[in-house]
This record gives sequence, C-alpha cells and structure tokens, in this order.
Amino acid sequence: MTTWEGLLFGLGFALQPEVLVYCLLGVVLGTFVGVLPGIGAMAAISLLLPITFYITPEAALIMLAGVYYGAQYGGAVASILLRLPGTPQSAVTTLDGYPMARQGRAGVALFTAMASSFAGSVFGIVVLVLLAGWLSRAATAFGAADYAAMMFLGLVAASTIGASRPAKGFAMVTLGLLLGCVGTDVNSGVQRFTFGQTELLDGINLVALAMGLFGVAEVISNVRDPDRQGVAERLGLRSLMPRREDLRRMGWPILRGSAMGSFFGALPGTGSTLSSFLSYSMERRVARQPERFGNGAIEGVAGPESANNSAAITAFAPTLTLGIPGDPIMALMLGALVIHGVQPGPMMLEARPEMFWGLVASFGIGNLLLLILNLPLIGIWVAMLRIPFHLMYPAILVFLCLGVYSVRGLSFDIVAVAMIGLAGYLLTLARFSPALLLLGFVLGPLIETNLRRAFLISRGDPMVFFERPIAAGFVLASIALLLLSLWQAWRRRAGAGDEVSSG
Amino acid sequence: MQRDWPDLLGGLTLAALGAVAAVWALVHYDLGSLRQMGPGFFPAVLGAVLLALGLIVALPALRRAAPQPRIEVGVVVAVLAAILIFGLGLFYLGLAGATAAAVLVATLPAPRPGWRWRVALAIVVAALTVLVFSIGLQMTLPLWPRLP
Repeated sequence: MTTWEGLLFGLGFALQPEVLVYCLLGVVLGTFVGVLPGIGAMAAISLLLPITFYITPEAALIMLAGVYYGAQYGGAVASILLRLPGTPQSAVTTLDGYPMARQGRAGVALFTAMASSFAGSVFGIVVLVLLAGWLSRAATAFGAADYAAMMFLGLVAASTIGASRPAKGFAMVTLGLLLGCVGTDVNSGVQRFTFGQTELLDGINLVALAMGLFGVAEVISNVRDPDRQGVAERLGLRSLMPRREDLRRMGWPILRGSAMGSFFGALPGTGSTLSSFLSYSMERRVARQPERFGNGAIEGVAGPESANNSAAITAFAPTLTLGIPGDPIMALMLGALVIHGVQPGPMMLEARPEMFWGLVASFGIGNLLLLILNLPLIGIWVAMLRIPFHLMYPAILVFLCLGVYSVRGLSFDIVAVAMIGLAGYLLTLARFSPALLLLGFVLGPLIETNLRRAFLISRGDPMVFFERPIAAGFVLASIALLLLSLWQAWRRRAGAGDEVSSG
Repeated sequence: MQRDWPDLLGGLTLAALGAVAAVWALVHYDLGSLRQMGPGFFPAVLGAVLLALGLIVALPALRRAAPQPRIEVGVVVAVLAAILIFGLGLFYLGLAGATAAAVLVATLPAPRPGWRWRVALAIVVAALTVLVFSIGLQMTLPLWPRLP
C-alpha cells in the first residue's frame, strides 16, 4: 500500500461515524484532563481503559491517542492562566505564558498555544508516516540483540537526558525492570516473586500499577495543595486575536519546535516533556534578546507547545512498528493493545492497515477538531478551572478503582492500587520518578526475552552486542550518554566545590 | 534544613529491596549460564544493580542538607482507606453502597468544612457510577448492600 492509498484508506476508516465519535470523545476528554492540573493523560488513559473493552481495538487506540494529544492542547490553559502546569508536558509553558497573561495577553498566549500545537501535530503526522514505513522495513533486519540494545538505550536516555540526578532515574528504571520479573517466567515456567499468590501469576497488573503510581499519588498530592485554589479570569473570543507582530514571531519557533519534538518523540526513552524543555532552551539561545524570555516572550510558548505535540505523535512510530514504547504513556497504549490481543510489531502496517492508517487519519481529524472546538470553547475550559478539586477527587478515586477492577475482575487489584499508590506518593515526595519505574516495568519482560535469545544465539558471547552494526550503534550511544552524565555530575561537583571555597 | 532524608531513606530502601531480590533469586531460582540463562539470572543481576544504585543515592546524602517534604498523613490515610473500603466492600455493600462509603471517607481531609456537601457528593457520585458502569457498560456487580 503506498502512502497516499494508505492515507485515503485510513480516512475512510476514521470517518466512519462510530470511529469519529470515539475520536471526538478522546480529544474532548483529553483536553478536559489536560486543563485540570493534577490529572494528566496517564491517569485519564488508565481511567478509560475499561471502556475500551467494549469497542474494537482500532477505535480504542484512536480514542486513547486522542486523550494523549488532546491533553497536550489542554495542558497549556492552566499553565498560562494560573501558572500551574495542566500536564508535565506544558510545565515549561508557564515560564512565558503566565507573564503574558499578567500583561493582559492571556488570550493571545492561548491562541499561540493552540495554533502551535496544531502546527506541531501536522508536522508530527508527516514525520510519523515517513518514519513508520521506513522503520517497519528496517525492523526486518533487527535481531534479538538489536532489540535488547535499543531498549537499553531507551532506558539510559530516559534516566539521563535532562535529569538532575541520573542515579535516582536509574534506580527507578531498575526497580521497574525488577517488578516486571514478577509472575511466571515465559522461558522456564518458573513462578518468580509470586509468594504463592495466584493473582500474581500473570505478573503485576499494568493498569493497577499505572493507576496507583499516577492516579492515586496525584490525588494525594493535590488534595491540600494551596496552589490549587487559584481563580482564572474570564476570557472573550476577541481577546484571542494575535497581532501581526505576534504571528511573525511564531513561525520559526514552531518549525524548530516541531522538528525537535518529532525527533525526540520518536527516540525511545525521551518524550514530549523533554522536547518541550529542550525547545524552550533552544529558543532562548537563538533569540536576539534573550532577556525577553521569562517576561512574556511569545516564542517561549510557541516553540515548546509545538514540540510536545509533534513528539506525542511521532512517539507512535516505534511503539507500533517495533512494539517498543518510547515513553510511559506509550507503554500504557501498548498495554491496552495487548489486552485487546493485538501485538504491535514490524507486520503491523501490513497485517492491520486499518489500525495504523486509521490512527494516522484520526490524528489529522482529531487535531482539526481540537483547533475548531477549542477556540470557541475556551470559555468553558476556563470555567472548568473554577471547579474545586475536592468535588472531583472522590469521584476520580472511585472510577479509578472500577477501572482497575474491570480488567480482571479481582478485588486483589484494588488493594494493590492502594499499596502502589502509597509507594508512588512517597516516591514523588522523595523526587524519584514513577514514570521511569513504569517504563522499566513495561520494557522489562521484552528486554529479558531478547537478551536471553541474543545470548542463546551467540552461545553466551557478549561480543554479539558489538559485532552487529545496529546493536553496536545503540550500545555505543548508551555508553556515550552514560559517560556524558558522569562528566556532568563530576563538573557539577567541581562547581559546587568552587562555590564553597570562594564563599 | 535538615539532613537529606528523602535521598537517604529512599536510597537505603531501594538498596535493601535490591539485596533481598538478588538473594531470593539466587536461593530460589536457577541461575543458568550466560549462554542459557535461567529464571534467576535477570532478577539476580537487577537486584545487585539496584543495591549498588541505592547506595550511590543514599551515601552522598549523609553529608548533605535538603528541605524536608511534608507527608500529608491525614490525606494518605483517608485516600487509602477509601480505596480499601471500595475494593473490599464492593461485594458486601454493593456498587452504590461501596461508592457512597468510599466518597464519604475520601472527602474527610478536604479543606472545606461541613457535612452536607459531603453527603450530597456521595449520593451524586454513587448515582453516576451506577449509571455509567452498571447501566451504561453493563458491568455485572451487585448494586445494593446485601442484608445479613
């Protein structure tokens, strides 16, 4: 199937009324949770999982994906109006979006965020289509060692790039890998770390883990948060209109942000949060007057918002064509597909064209819907911010429990959510990243299987990871990243020593 | 400012977890060889790595000060209790009863005083849950409390 045939085919699939409804539902819900600080796409996707059991896997994926990129749009609203990141991906938008709002330009900032998000998504869709075709052809050359090395690079990249304390990141990834070992070992049939609990034979329930680490932990952290009580001002449609000067300033940042987001989105281990931060620092670096940043520079909104959206879209390339999720949200998507009995991999484009092309077409439709809906609906989203959190979180907790329960029908899983939630809250307090834990958890079984296969084929010779060009490339990149973060840590320590001696 | 307790305790807990996992894997599962890895190989290695990483995080924290995060004990207890009441009570209280009970308990730490809004919220959420999950999604769950 050529690209154009594929796109037409996908459009035909995604424009079916029932698929369209799930797409609309996904993006509206995504915007909703994105707008509300404290609930992110992660919790929303976990909450929606039970509903997807009643629809086809294609519609399920389209809806869950809609939640993800819809949340990227919504996240900017709270960031700009209240200086509270609606989602982690929009955290950097607060830096210049909020000052713009203080200068009475909240509407323009919101318009910029929406337009940049849309442009970033379109850019991401083009990259996704090109990349997915290339990846699924290239993937036929991938052996077990290559897969293992690639996932290793993903984990190293996720814990080092942009992290202030890589050791804590690595610890979380390792804990995740270890938790992924729980359950029946597929190679030998031995039950590992089940302690006689039959509920653990299939391993720890992914949905319970995600809901505990994100849903419950987020609720606990937000119940008494005084920052949550902010009040946003009302906005009229007219205030959204940008000046010509604003439009002129948006162009290049959007292009640079989209390119950056597409690249880091497709790379396993990095994702939309990181790319929005990188885009911001790039804009500040290339700006002629860097001092404008932090005081309401429109480039500081346009760049990151386009970057996080294009990253959210290109992240689907490795997930669908290699079966390797690049970030925790993709891991959850992959988990949802596996629950539906769909195993993504190089054959995906051929075997399930309606899934891949339908998803691509739904990206286009969904983003268009978001652009058309969000500008007039902005008043409603702002009003949403006025709902006090204490009226929402009890319902969130109940829905979350039912969502977990519906996966396997076991009360055990609800009890597990409570315990995982406690652990997740403590981890967040101590600044350990639960997202990295989840990434390790999902990649764990995949890495172990491929590692064992690679060593079986090479008869125990570790050189297999250096002789195969693909694997060697990933391993060398991982080593380079490790050395880089070691060097940074050393430099930081040396710098801290200087400060002490000079002070 | 006090000693960096989050890193110290977090790192030590992780190190302990890693040590236990590695020893458990070594004792209970076959290690195998690099060529033919047994079920114990991967967890044993990971446990050892986690032990090392935990110590790397914890030891420097001994000589460092950091602001203390505050643990919201009341919120933690109420939220976890609500989840447990819901999970364990689902079959005795029914969907409506368990939801109402869980919502009431969950609202305890909320910053707004008064009990009327709590009761109203419990009723609304219970009705919503029954509508969405029982009538809408046709989940087979008991709806009302079982009489002894």
